[in-house]
Amino acid sequence: MTRLAPLVRPFPVRLPGSSWLAAALAVILAAGACAPAREAPVGAAASAARWFGDTSPPPDNVFRFNLGAEPETYDPGLAVGQPDGRVARLLFEGLTREDPQTLEPLPGQAYRWEISPDGRTYTFHLRPGLRWSDDRPVTAHDFRWTWLRVLKPETAARYAGFLYAVVNAEAYNKGELKDENQVGLEAPDDSTFVVRLAAPVPYFLYLTQFYTCLPVPRWAIEKHGNRWTRPGNIVGNGAFTLDYWRQNNRFEVVKNPRYWDAASVKLDRVVGYCIDDLNTSFNLYKAGSFDWCPSGYFPSSFIPYVREYSDYRHGDYQAVYFYSICVKKPPLDHPDVRRALKMSVDRDAIANDLLKGSRRPWGNFAPSGYPGYHNPPGIPYDPPKAREYLARAGFPGGKGFPKISILINTSEDHRRIAEAIQAMWKRELGIPVEVFNQEWGSYLQATTALQYDVARRSWIGDYLDPNTFLSCYVTGDGNNRTGWGDPRYDRMLREAAKELDPAKRFAILREAEILLLDEGPVIPIYHYSTNEMVKPYVRGIYKTPLDIHPLTRVWIDREWERRATRVAARKAEAQGTR
Amino acid sequence: MSLVGFIFRRVLIIIPTLWVIATLTFFLIRVAPGGPFQSEREIPAAAKEQLLRKYGLDQPLHRQYLSFLANAARLDFGPSYKFPQRQVREIILEAFPVSAELGGWALLVAILVGAPIGVIAAVKQNSRADYAAMGIALAGVSIPNFVLGPVLVLGLALTLYLLPPALWQGPESRVLPVLTLSTAYVAYIARLTRGGMLETLRQDYIRTARAKGLSEPVVVGKHALRLGILPVVSYLGPAAARIIMGSIVVETIFAVPGLGRYLVNAAFNRDYTLVLGGVLFYASFLMVLNLLIDVAYTRLDPRVELA
Repeated sequence: MTRLAPLVRPFPVRLPGSSWLAAALAVILAAGACAPAREAPVGAAASAARWFGDTSPPPDNVFRFNLGAEPETYDPGLAVGQPDGRVARLLFEGLTREDPQTLEPLPGQAYRWEISPDGRTYTFHLRPGLRWSDDRPVTAHDFRWTWLRVLKPETAARYAGFLYAVVNAEAYNKGELKDENQVGLEAPDDSTFVVRLAAPVPYFLYLTQFYTCLPVPRWAIEKHGNRWTRPGNIVGNGAFTLDYWRQNNRFEVVKNPRYWDAASVKLDRVVGYCIDDLNTSFNLYKAGSFDWCPSGYFPSSFIPYVREYSDYRHGDYQAVYFYSICVKKPPLDHPDVRRALKMSVDRDAIANDLLKGSRRPWGNFAPSGYPGYHNPPGIPYDPPKAREYLARAGFPGGKGFPKISILINTSEDHRRIAEAIQAMWKRELGIPVEVFNQEWGSYLQATTALQYDVARRSWIGDYLDPNTFLSCYVTGDGNNRTGWGDPRYDRMLREAAKELDPAKRFAILREAEILLLDEGPVIPIYHYSTNEMVKPYVRGIYKTPLDIHPLTRVWIDREWERRATRVAARKAEAQGTR
Repeated sequence: MSLVGFIFRRVLIIIPTLWVIATLTFFLIRVAPGGPFQSEREIPAAAKEQLLRKYGLDQPLHRQYLSFLANAARLDFGPSYKFPQRQVREIILEAFPVSAELGGWALLVAILVGAPIGVIAAVKQNSRADYAAMGIALAGVSIPNFVLGPVLVLGLALTLYLLPPALWQGPESRVLPVLTLSTAYVAYIARLTRGGMLETLRQDYIRTARAKGLSEPVVVGKHALRLGILPVVSYLGPAAARIIMGSIVVETIFAVPGLGRYLVNAAFNRDYTLVLGGVLFYASFLMVLNLLIDVAYTRLDPRVELA
């Protein structure tokens, strides 16, 4: 889930030496994208709404959307990316499932559960009569087997760490413990699944709906090996079953009649296309081939043009764009130097001027919107103070400061932001900065090996808790990638993990974030937003904080025009009587 | 020399060439920084170790190289690293026919439209028809397909709603990508045909044909065209290879599930097996195509000898 907009585009549309051509093309495309061709027949009543492109619903009871990049795999235990997860969530259901609006855990395959007073034992009770798509019963043993499979070293599941909260899970995953019966997962009978945690995890129920924890059919995997997910072999317990798959083209799933809540599944078929080119994706939306263009799958430069349309939906997303400072090399090992760099970045100018307000300036590392968590004050833009810090570190006016470089992965937006920051540091601090770009693979290698000074990075939350962000900067964490570590920070995160009282826990995490922002190696820049387009006849897709959209209850409203007219008429009437 | 002997000798040259290509690609892709299992989110060390072991990447490089050669000789490139549920061979066999179909149509359009334009331009040399044809051909060669494609989409798909803007579903979806891909080739073939025909029409045997009293259509269509088209024939080999394998831009713009997109993405993803399989496939395809063109050449021009 960590990769944001597909930055590794298959082919750069802009070629060197033809930038005027590309610019002209961009203008043509943008103009064309906004041409009011075959617009919705806007009635007098619905005059407020303007819809983009074709607005006729699909002829059948089908929902079509863009998955973006081709999923690497949709085996839930091995899935890593967002497209992988979107397919897995259609085909499988966990103990809990997301509320389509808030993403809070709702009863899924488990209809109720008990949590022990110390928060360490979860007892899930499965619904009676659950069936796999091949008519076998879904049992607690399936869940136990699935979770053990994720943890088994041979599976090489990249998200195995999600289950490390379970007693002995980490040792088992690392191969230090061979006996799976010592892992805190038990199935005392067919319908009861007991999970014992090493420490209370307040967000544990969120993990039970994450795709890594979705149940998989043991017999199909044992029979077909890693080809078990192919159409014909795959068996699921979700609202849909796989009907057709063609790599680099599309997935088609059909309603699963054996799903426990099949009565409330209104779609007969869902088609997910794998279109990684953003322009193509947007064209298909306009032409009415897609009913939903999820966030990130149209060019961000189009946002100012499509804002006017009622299709456009904009919301906060639990992801932050930031610069990471490698603290291995002087003078960046000096906290005052880092403070100076942080305080001389004008986030407002970047988000509102450079990016035309499509993002929100953000001075914190944890994003906003975690229920119960109050972000500390963000890093301010304060050039005089920044100069003071730089002088205190021994570089008054930037004198004697060695040249530092900003590492970005190749992308037009990253470059523009890096150049803006380069100018800010030069202007405010008088330090020499160069911008250095690499393609994705080389960039990953450089950031992992700490071979950089300052690098662009971004982070997406996996569950609704600030821990998904703050835990990255524990000393030596694989996602830290700065060489920074502070025993005080580590201690606070450990304490927070043990704390049962949510208010106290958030207070500790807040202190940790304050420390991270003050001394740590991160320069937050902006808060990501979701920018998506939804056709007027689509019902049941909501703005959600993690850009996860359960499609189980989505439906196509063929009466949308009449409904819109009626609502508008009622509004007009209400105004008339006033 | 007999045809069979000729083909046999050429195949003997193809094999060491493929070996050189395989070796170069194998080491070049490994020199690129990063690896197939690098990600923005850290992979647990245990999982990474397992992955490396699973794909034999924990072995010393020369060992990996030897086992790769042994497997490649059996046309087995193993599973893709990026899409572990699929074999490289499977991906190529699924995606290549799509590229071949797209390229085949485009090539057909290019010949059927380009050659007649060239013949007309040559016969009516320095007339208005000639200037118009060559002007259009110049434009066709000059407009890159990443410009032409979007413009066609904008006009025909998003303004007039005549054709789908992308996706490889149904015959109507073939029109725009084929048109976009073929334009440059139409133009080039028209120019080649015109050049070849102009040269041929000045030859003695054409004068003889005319003196014999043959009608002009027969002179041009039967006698001149056969030799005049030769430059086009020799161009068809590389053109077919380029048009079929190199349609990445068109495949991307129109979301065509062809082989080109796989190969480019595989290089970015450091998907070693897919890169190697793809490169070797492409190289063999190119060489076999060239061989076929050489054979065809001898059929058209008796002066050419097999060597």
